[in-house]
Amino acid sequence: MGNNKIHPDQMYIEGLAANDSAIIQSIYKKFVPKVVFFVMNNSGDKEQAQDIVQEVMILLFNQAKTNTLKLTCPFDAYFFLLCKRKWLNEFKKTSNKGVTIHEDIVSMNESALDLIGQTEEFDEKQQLFDSMFQKLGEKCQELLKLSFSIKSMEEVAEKLNVTYGYVRKKKSLCVGQLTQWIQEAKNFNSLKNN
Amino acid sequence: MNEERYILFDQYLQSEMTAAEKTDFEKQLAEDSEFAAEFETFKAVELQLQNKFGFEAEREAFKENLDQIAEKHFNKEKPKVVLMRPWYLAAAASVVLLFGLFFFDYNQNPSFHDYNHPGQAHFTERSTTDMHLLQAEKAFNSRKFKEAILFFEMALKDNKTPEVQYYYGVSLLETSEYQKGEAVFNELKASSPIYKDKALWNLALMKLKQKDYKSCKQILQTISQDYEDYDEVQELLDALD
Repeated sequence: MGNNKIHPDQMYIEGLAANDSAIIQSIYKKFVPKVVFFVMNNSGDKEQAQDIVQEVMILLFNQAKTNTLKLTCPFDAYFFLLCKRKWLNEFKKTSNKGVTIHEDIVSMNESALDLIGQTEEFDEKQQLFDSMFQKLGEKCQELLKLSFSIKSMEEVAEKLNVTYGYVRKKKSLCVGQLTQWIQEAKNFNSLKNN
Repeated sequence: MNEERYILFDQYLQSEMTAAEKTDFEKQLAEDSEFAAEFETFKAVELQLQNKFGFEAEREAFKENLDQIAEKHFNKEKPKVVLMRPWYLAAAASVVLLFGLFFFDYNQNPSFHDYNHPGQAHFTERSTTDMHLLQAEKAFNSRKFKEAILFFEMALKDNKTPEVQYYYGVSLLETSEYQKGEAVFNELKASSPIYKDKALWNLALMKLKQKDYKSCKQILQTISQDYEDYDEVQELLDALD
């Protein structure tokens, strides 16, 4: 991807990351009507279209915040296909009908497809991570939340009224627990795929 | 769970190892692929936690902003449907009915005044020297039809053109001299193909003015569709139905 030029539409990504209202409004104005039209023509309604758009916007915000989202194709195609695939997957889940996703591969350039793949992978990883995090005990969840929002472990210890050594060890173990579960899921997936 | 291992990962990432410990750790990473894979996952988990909680306030602000913008965007497109309860409907209907009783014109028949456009006469443009005609025109254009009739009658004695006849007829219509008027327009209809439809239209208006809707309609139906003001003919026909 390094040799691909950043598309000028990267400004939409930066705008989302910066919570820039003007940029968000222009995305709604320029790109959302197409998504609404698609969802409504594929067994959905306006509210469902609105939800899909919001999910994708938050996904883009999250990915943009990690500085790993570098747009190498027009935002239009990238955004529309993300929403479209998300809707079709959602629809597949709720109705038991089999839905085949017809890709507009012919009309998409390689970098757009590559980019969509990356974003969907980011999405999947995040969802897997979230479901694992919910499995943690309450104490682990609270400690991790504090550790990663406050950053100074001394302060975290003070807040939880425990020793610095304890929070350090506990934090390693909580992260370790997540690591173990995710590693297991990864190994399971690679077994499944091989 | 391999507790020792995770504590080691954390120490390494926090740069809390001695040089010797660090060398050992890196050696194990290079030699033990399972160890290395788990270390990669550990780092990925820390990154996820960083994303999840590091930007939480910003994410919440973003979501809130997004909600507002989306709400505005979608509601502009879709006016909210207000569910009307039957009694609201009944109340609304009776209000409409009341207004109707006050303002509705029960006379559903079209009125002559809606279609009455006598127009302007322009004989003088054609360098008329006839004094009577000039006076007739002046009277006609200032809507003094009774006066105009007298001048038209005098003018027609020397100068009987369809145009003069036509404005004479219109003046008779305006002053409700139906018999004379009908005679003028019937003559015009028969003698001048150019004024035929205009004459028919005025004959129809005469019936309309007398509220003889049936005859009015019958006359209207004889007007050719090529008539320049056929729109109005059609409109009046529709109104009579």
